[in-house]
Parts: sequence; structure tokens; C-alpha cells
Amino acid sequence: MADRPPGTAAVQRALEVLRDRLDARTTAFLNSCVRCGLCADTCHVYLADGEAESMPAHKVERIARFFRRHHTLLGRLAPGFVGAQTLDQEGLNALAVAAFGRCTLCGRCALNCSVGLDPSTIIRFARTVLGAAGMVPNGIRANVDLALATGNNMGISREDVLETVTWLEQDLQDTLGDPAAAMPVDRRGARVLYAVNPREVKFFPLSLSAAAMIFHVAGEDWTLTSSDFDITNYGYFAADAGAARAIAGRLVARAEELGVEELVVAECGHGYRTLRWEAPEWLGRPFPFRVRSFVEVMADYLAGGRLRLDPGKNPERVTLHDPCNLVRNGGVIEEQRVLLRAAAKDFVEMTPNREDNYCCGGGGGILAASEHTARRIEAGRIKADQIRATGAKVVASPCHNCIDQLMELNRAYKLGVEVRTLAEIVADALVLPAKPAP
Amino acid sequence: MSDITIAGRTFAVDEEGFLQRPEVWDDEVARLFATTEGVTEMTPEHWAVVRIIREHYLEHGNAPMVRLLCQRTGLNLRTIFKLFPSGPAKGACRVAGLPKPEGCV
Repeated sequence: MADRPPGTAAVQRALEVLRDRLDARTTAFLNSCVRCGLCADTCHVYLADGEAESMPAHKVERIARFFRRHHTLLGRLAPGFVGAQTLDQEGLNALAVAAFGRCTLCGRCALNCSVGLDPSTIIRFARTVLGAAGMVPNGIRANVDLALATGNNMGISREDVLETVTWLEQDLQDTLGDPAAAMPVDRRGARVLYAVNPREVKFFPLSLSAAAMIFHVAGEDWTLTSSDFDITNYGYFAADAGAARAIAGRLVARAEELGVEELVVAECGHGYRTLRWEAPEWLGRPFPFRVRSFVEVMADYLAGGRLRLDPGKNPERVTLHDPCNLVRNGGVIEEQRVLLRAAAKDFVEMTPNREDNYCCGGGGGILAASEHTARRIEAGRIKADQIRATGAKVVASPCHNCIDQLMELNRAYKLGVEVRTLAEIVADALVLPAKPAP
Repeated sequence: MSDITIAGRTFAVDEEGFLQRPEVWDDEVARLFATTEGVTEMTPEHWAVVRIIREHYLEHGNAPMVRLLCQRTGLNLRTIFKLFPSGPAKGACRVAGLPKPEGCV
């Protein structure tokens, strides 16, 4: 119709999702927030900008008011009385900033919720509603599309993977002086499939070399894959269930095809969370292989005497940033500490830490959402202050996404630190077995 | 979209400081952007990295694999990270006048 206001079709689709995709848990959560505000002090975004709109309860309210208006009796009869609001384009615009710009899905607010909600679940639902209206940030959407089209979020070809691995393998053999040091690819029947973040292959392969060295020294029976190797899942950040399932499903199928006993996920917080905890739900079945983080695997090697580490090789002070999706939301908490105590001479915790740690400010896919760059850097101030207070020269973090944000914080807040993966620090501390006599 | 002014010249950049109009790029622009990356002097090694990124972008429309950068320049990986403290994905690509690379960067 000619007189239809712009955005109506998008609003209509959003309303349909608000009606059809409400499961029992989300409905209970949307009905339960009492707006006590205890969550405010847990949120790094609110602590950094002090704006009321950054309080978790406020962000939840942005979607809860649509829910009340369209799905509760009082909301329909007396919307003003219960703070209900008709879902319209303006409301969606405000919701988009709340759900993608002011929330990194870190889940820290759930620790303090007086009625036991996980607000990040509600924000993810808000993202699904926004997705129906075509309002997922372009950068996040582009990564989803590229992953669906090419098998990884950087569009890296199979040839590029193979050439990069050959190049790294040569370097590994030179470093170890051992022509038997290998980086196997697509090897069926290996015990372990090591799956990685595409940015390791394209731009930051030091972590990949480090992992290869660790597998070699530990005597692991492992392989990489030249296709469907991507552990990231921007479908999860977009809260697009179909895309998230498709992306995770490909790596799962590849692991099944190779017949491995274990899928080892490289250092990537949401990659671990989605593959370990979410993907079996999405795909509706258990997997015939175990899923572990490389952090857990390295700690196992150390405990089993398969790695020997000399902390003197990392003499500078090291602190640890806990990725939310690996630690608070993933349950891998102590292994990285065991490794750092063995691999570095002066490991200090930042405060708070473990499951109580603050998000780096780069979670929830926000690094890909360029329109929220200024907010992201500002929200990272809490993390920058934490790092500075430790006096550390090196920040370790078992997550490539966190590392990207930490590198930006390093630049923006002039921290003067080096940001590294756990594998790189562990590899540098390796006591290599004596070379066999010629 | 915003503007950045370096040494009196103004450029349209995206929110993360990547040049918006690739055609305005030249050596002088590279030198100016380098100052925002903690690069005090563009050495021949810096130029070698920037030229390869630039050529690859003009030919393929995206940033090259870091393998290509190392093999074509003869520099090792750690040297490239030292040359561009923000890394090959962001630092070097910003200086080479590319849009932000796709993916997890």
C-alpha cells in the first residue's frame, strides 16, 4: 500500500518472531525482571560510560516492554500502566543499540541478578527479533554470509590453507632442527582434529605454529583440516539459529568424516562455548567425539609429563585475561593458571578474575560491528585499568577475539604490553627433548 | 564514517580509521597514516610490506595472507609484527589504504 509507513514490513517480521520464537525460558525471563538494578555494577559497559541505558536491566527493558504490549493482557488493555510499548521502527532502532552496542553477551550480570535471570539470554532473543527486521550490524552479517558461502569467515581457500601450513611446517622443522616435525592435514583416523580461527591462518599464525610445536613435543596423533576448519560462529552472535546450526554443523561433520576421537578447539572463547555446549543442542544429538579446548589439552599434557616447561624462558610479568565464553560461560577456569604458573616466572592475577572477570569489551561480535567502535573502546577502559594495575608486560588470553580487542586497548590506552595466546607462551617455555644423536 | 586530520590533511575514514576512498591513497597518505600506527619512520621494510598489500588488494580486492607477505618480502613473521605494532590485519592494512579486512579482526 502506498500509504504504508516505511519500515512496516520489517516491523511485521519482528513482531512475528516476538510471537513465534518465545520459548518457556525466555518468556519466564521477560516476565521476571523486577528492575532492582543490582546488575548495574556488574556491567563493564555501564561502569565505563555511566549511562542509565547501559544498565543490564535497562537493556532488558527495551525488549520486555514490547513483550508486555503484545503478549500480556495488562499490556494490551493498559499499556501505559505497565510500561508496555508498541513495537515500531523507532523502538527497534533503540533496541539495536542496546543489544549490539551496549551488550557483549558476557553474562557477568547474571552473577548478581536478584531473581536469578541470565540477561544475556534475553539480549540474544532481542538480537533474533532484530535479525528478522534485517537489523543485525552489517559487519556481523557479512561474517555470517562469508562463512556460509566459503566455509570460513575470511573466505580463505583450501589452497591458501595448504600453502600456509606447508610454509609453517618448514619453519617448525627449521626451529626444532627435526625434519620429522609435521603439521598433518586432512589425515583420517588421527586421534585429534585441531580446528582453528581463520585469523590464525590468514594473519596471526604464531599461535598455530606454537600449537604444532606443542602437539609434536607431546607426541600427539593429530591433524588439521583444509576445509571447514573454522571454529568461530557469527551466527551465534547474530542470534540466527539456522546459520549458527549450519556453521557448527559443518565442522562437526568434518570431524565425523575424519573419524577423530577428539575435536580440539583452538583458543577462541565463543568457538569453545558454541562447539562444546551449544552445538549438540542445535544439532539435536550428541557427537561421537569429545570436544575440548586446547587449554585443557595443554594442561593435560603438562600433568601427564608430556611437556616440560621452564618458566625462566618467560621472565617478564604476565597477567591473564579470562575470556567470558571460555571461563564464566564455558567452565574452563583453572587450566590456564596451571599452565601460566609453569610457563612464566612472574604470573599475577588481575582483579577480579576467573568467572568474576570483566569482559574485555570486545565480546558478542561487537568487534565486527564498526558502528559501535567508540563504545567498544570506551567499554574496554575497565579492562585497561585492570591490566595497568597488575604492572604486567605481557597479557595472556586464550581467545583470539579478546586478543584483537586487547591489542586495540593497548593502542588506545597506551598500556605498553604484549598480548599473546597461551600456546605461544607455553611453546616459548618448552624444554625440548635432546636431539637424537646423528 | 568520520574524518581524520593528519598533519593538516583531512581524510574520510570508517569508524576504525580505515580509508574510505582507496583512490586517494599515495605514498604521502601512507606516511601520514603510519604516524597513527606508532610507526615513526617508513623504512624500506615497511614499504615492501605496504606495496605487496596494496598490489594484492588492487588485484584481488582483499588483503593477502601473511604467508605471502613473509615470502615476498623475505621478512619473518615476528619482524612484520614489530614493523606494524597493530599487526598485519589492522596496522599494515590501514597504512596501505585498504578497507577493514573481513572476518575476526
